[in-house]
Amino acid sequence: MPAAPFDYEAPATLAEALDLLGERGPEARPLAGGQSLVPLLTLRLARPRLVVDLDRLHELRAVRRTPDALEIGALVRHRALERGEGPLALCPLLQEAAALIGNTRVRTLGTLGGSVAHADPAAELPAVLRALDGAVVLRSTRGERVVGAGDFFVGMLTTALAPDELLTAVRLPLPSPGAGFAVEEFSRRAGDFAVVAAVAVVELDGGAVARARVALAGVGPVPARLDRLEAALLGERSGPDAIRRAVADRPLGIEPDGDIHASAEYRRHLAAVLTTRALERAAEAARGAVV
Amino acid sequence: MAESPTATQERLRVVGRRLPRHDARDKVLARTLYAADWQMPGMLEGAVLRSSYPAARITRIDTSRAAAYPGVAAVLTARDVPHNILWTDVPGQTSIVGPLRARVQVLADDRVRYQGEAIALVAAETREIAARALELIDVAYEVRPGVFTTEEALRPEAPRVHEESNLLATWRVRCGDADEALARAHVVVEQTYRCGLIDHAYLEPEAGVAWIDADGVVVVRASTQVIEHFRDVADVLGLPHNKVRVIGPYVGGGFGGKEDVTVEVFLGLLAYRTGRPVRMVWSRQESLLARPKRHPFTLRYRTGAARDGTLVAHRIELTADAGAYAYLSALVLLYATVTAAGPYRVPHVAVDARAVYTNNPPTSAMRGFGAMQMVLGYESQIDQIARRLGLDPVEVRRRNALGRGDRLPVGQELDTHVAVAEAAERAWAALGPPRPPSSPRHRVGRGLACNLQPYGRLVWLRDWASAWVGLEADGSVAVRTGVPDVGGGQASSLCQIAAEALGVEPDRVTVHIADSALTPLAGTTTATRQLYMSGNAVLVAATHLRDEVRRVAAQILETPVEQVTLADGAAVAASHRSVPLGDVVKECARLGVPRSHLGVYHAPAGDPVDLERGGGRVFPDYTFGAHAVEVEVDVDTGAASVRRLVACHDVGRAINPQSVEGQVQGGAVMGLGYGLMEEIVVDRGVNLTTSFASYLIPSALDVPDVEPILIESGDGKGPFAARGIGEPPIGPPAAAIANAIEDAVGVRITDLPITPEKIARALGLLSGG
Repeated sequence: MPAAPFDYEAPATLAEALDLLGERGPEARPLAGGQSLVPLLTLRLARPRLVVDLDRLHELRAVRRTPDALEIGALVRHRALERGEGPLALCPLLQEAAALIGNTRVRTLGTLGGSVAHADPAAELPAVLRALDGAVVLRSTRGERVVGAGDFFVGMLTTALAPDELLTAVRLPLPSPGAGFAVEEFSRRAGDFAVVAAVAVVELDGGAVARARVALAGVGPVPARLDRLEAALLGERSGPDAIRRAVADRPLGIEPDGDIHASAEYRRHLAAVLTTRALERAAEAARGAVV
Repeated sequence: MAESPTATQERLRVVGRRLPRHDARDKVLARTLYAADWQMPGMLEGAVLRSSYPAARITRIDTSRAAAYPGVAAVLTARDVPHNILWTDVPGQTSIVGPLRARVQVLADDRVRYQGEAIALVAAETREIAARALELIDVAYEVRPGVFTTEEALRPEAPRVHEESNLLATWRVRCGDADEALARAHVVVEQTYRCGLIDHAYLEPEAGVAWIDADGVVVVRASTQVIEHFRDVADVLGLPHNKVRVIGPYVGGGFGGKEDVTVEVFLGLLAYRTGRPVRMVWSRQESLLARPKRHPFTLRYRTGAARDGTLVAHRIELTADAGAYAYLSALVLLYATVTAAGPYRVPHVAVDARAVYTNNPPTSAMRGFGAMQMVLGYESQIDQIARRLGLDPVEVRRRNALGRGDRLPVGQELDTHVAVAEAAERAWAALGPPRPPSSPRHRVGRGLACNLQPYGRLVWLRDWASAWVGLEADGSVAVRTGVPDVGGGQASSLCQIAAEALGVEPDRVTVHIADSALTPLAGTTTATRQLYMSGNAVLVAATHLRDEVRRVAAQILETPVEQVTLADGAAVAASHRSVPLGDVVKECARLGVPRSHLGVYHAPAGDPVDLERGGGRVFPDYTFGAHAVEVEVDVDTGAASVRRLVACHDVGRAINPQSVEGQVQGGAVMGLGYGLMEEIVVDRGVNLTTSFASYLIPSALDVPDVEPILIESGDGKGPFAARGIGEPPIGPPAAAIANAIEDAVGVRITDLPITPEKIARALGLLSGG
């Protein structure tokens, strides 16, 4: 079945786009790469009266480097992230995560802003944003605000975006040069959304963990940070044994639901396995970086 | 009873060549007009209103708002259907249930028996209006208790799905004394297996266009495996059979899902009512929700063997969920019963099989048709016997393999080559030396599975096919036969057969297929029968024609007819003098010698067999094969991936090896999906998997390059000794994978699909329920 009929606008500037959303925001949906919205339209799960195509907004394709962060335009495509084009190479974690999204066709069209704004609980990029303590830039005719990832993801497919707001950029603090990172993902079928994915970033001081961050996708309505595990790892040795013990010694503090692809129990098991694997690999990378 | 015709020409010129199929280019360039691509002036769009509930009484249907909506041309409910019944006859059912005349209501009258059952039809100016009209039909339901498992359905107090018992069909086989033999066996393996509800998942959902032609004939151009459904359309409309015509365009995948009626009758009703062309295209969700699927089975096996691995007995109990309507369930169950002991000599076999109505989606034909589900049972059993006795998996299969002259437990003697042992050896050997796992957290294992699958229909259906072959005055060839081409190269193979017999290149042959009014009927493209049946019919016609042409050519060439051959578009004498075929055809015309022939092929026929007494021939013949896989298992997550898949089948002779390999590869991939990931999940009759985001079929990245090995034994009942290969390759992968997983990590998975979670649970990685 094709999508239900809708009006279509393709504004040439951000200002025009924001005006449109200001006027018709509650009945409008912005269209970026279309990899989430178009299936929802054709399944008629979304029936907006207006689709605002952002494709002409070249200003949202820019990537800027600030002293300690990247500001990545919302329309930067997964393929650019995967290839580490230009300054994006400064955050190789994005490369590893983006390479796990869908397939080449999806990555060629899908955008960073689209994935983050859609907020699928099993998506990779929201988890990366959460792991790196990133933030999103939201614009409307009322002005601009910056919202941290922890506050942006509100619930299943639900974010802090107001109907008249557009997500224009993602800000990612750059990990310290010696940081190691890894993404571990489990899916039922190649290219599918993860059943569970783990993103780990580890910084070392000597042989000990100076800072560890872990975010999980697929274990709840929003990407989860494993605060207690992160705290427990502080000052620990970075070898596989210590990491395995740290993960096994305490509940991860997640409450996943079961569905037809995996029971809640299996998701908890996968979360532990993938967290361990991601931390081990991140720690190993950090050790390599120091040497 | 006609024996298989064979070519008398000593050397094959066209048959056996790897040829690109003549339909491939247009498909790649999107020029093929599939069913949904057909457009006609003034065409309406049809749509179906479907039941929201799996078990309910319809207390009221109000179509007035829908009918009054602008742009709506017709709204039909059961009371608008002249004859609201489709019949499925199952002759020869020999059981307590008795001969079956199974009913399917075209549109639900006062009861719905599964979620998605058709209740009303709409024809409107656009799809959008049709969709809106469906929303405006007001249906009041009184929800009734349903039965959602075969166990529930068989309880004496269970609600009945139909007026009669929920037990739809039973079959029994008794060969020797299984119980006594099991009591004396050196080793007995007992296990229960379950396989799930599977969708055909073809690229092309159900679609078609219908119109009334200038002679008042109702024409339905629809995606189908069976153009003979013109009779069903006529019966429902109350028209003479010769006033309905079905045209079958190239089909984007059938796999049995387009064997039963899909859109044809709905389209006929809407076109007849409105007098206008009507198109109907089902969405993917509709297709996944409402089409009959593959039967889930519970298979209980007790298998006994001697110390040396010789099988002595099987006691087998089979229960199939038929869903809400019979469709072809009784026949699917028969295929399962006949093949349940596998391609092995087993002197004592008892099979008790039953199919049960539930309020789940109906089940019917799907590639493998009951026989493929059995492979998990008999191949898991023989593997466990080998393991228990410390025997090599190939050796134990070789020791028990059927051979020519052996009898199946139902009494049928195998009268062609039986390549079970050879296939097992070759597939296993092709795996080569073991390769190391990809990480310390992975284990690698190998598994083998053999199978047998009938080709051709039950002998008591007295199957036949016809084909017309004609020569034009320029020496080109036309073939006319009512064969639906479902993507397996059906038309293209016929082209090669005609070209071979008449000594021309395949590009000089045009094949006109699948028009019930204009092409001689050839029967269904199902049951691995089409190459076998229509291929033989084309060969009969072309061979007859060749002999006529040679006779006339002999006069022209002034040489004895025995010395005339047809080659390279000419008739050639022993002296190498030749005359172009076109000139011979013109001479035929001058002499009044026919330049065309209608060939008819009759398969071996027989009376219904009492399976229980071991009556004899059930099917014309069987195709045998074996698959070997190498699987890697992640011991932390339970994920299993297939790294190698070698698929070996005896195809008798490969008419076009490229097409045959394509069938083998496609079937093996489908079998892999069935083994590892595919499952329609139904919760109390409600389908939770109505998109490809939830119903998982393998992508190209989930399967290895399937390595086909074709055995050409030169023995089979098809043209040039070919055997059918459409269904056989789907059978072995699931069992081979289950066997490889036990080899890798020591756990036996008995339920399909073999998900990572099931493996993780078997490995003890998960604490409890």
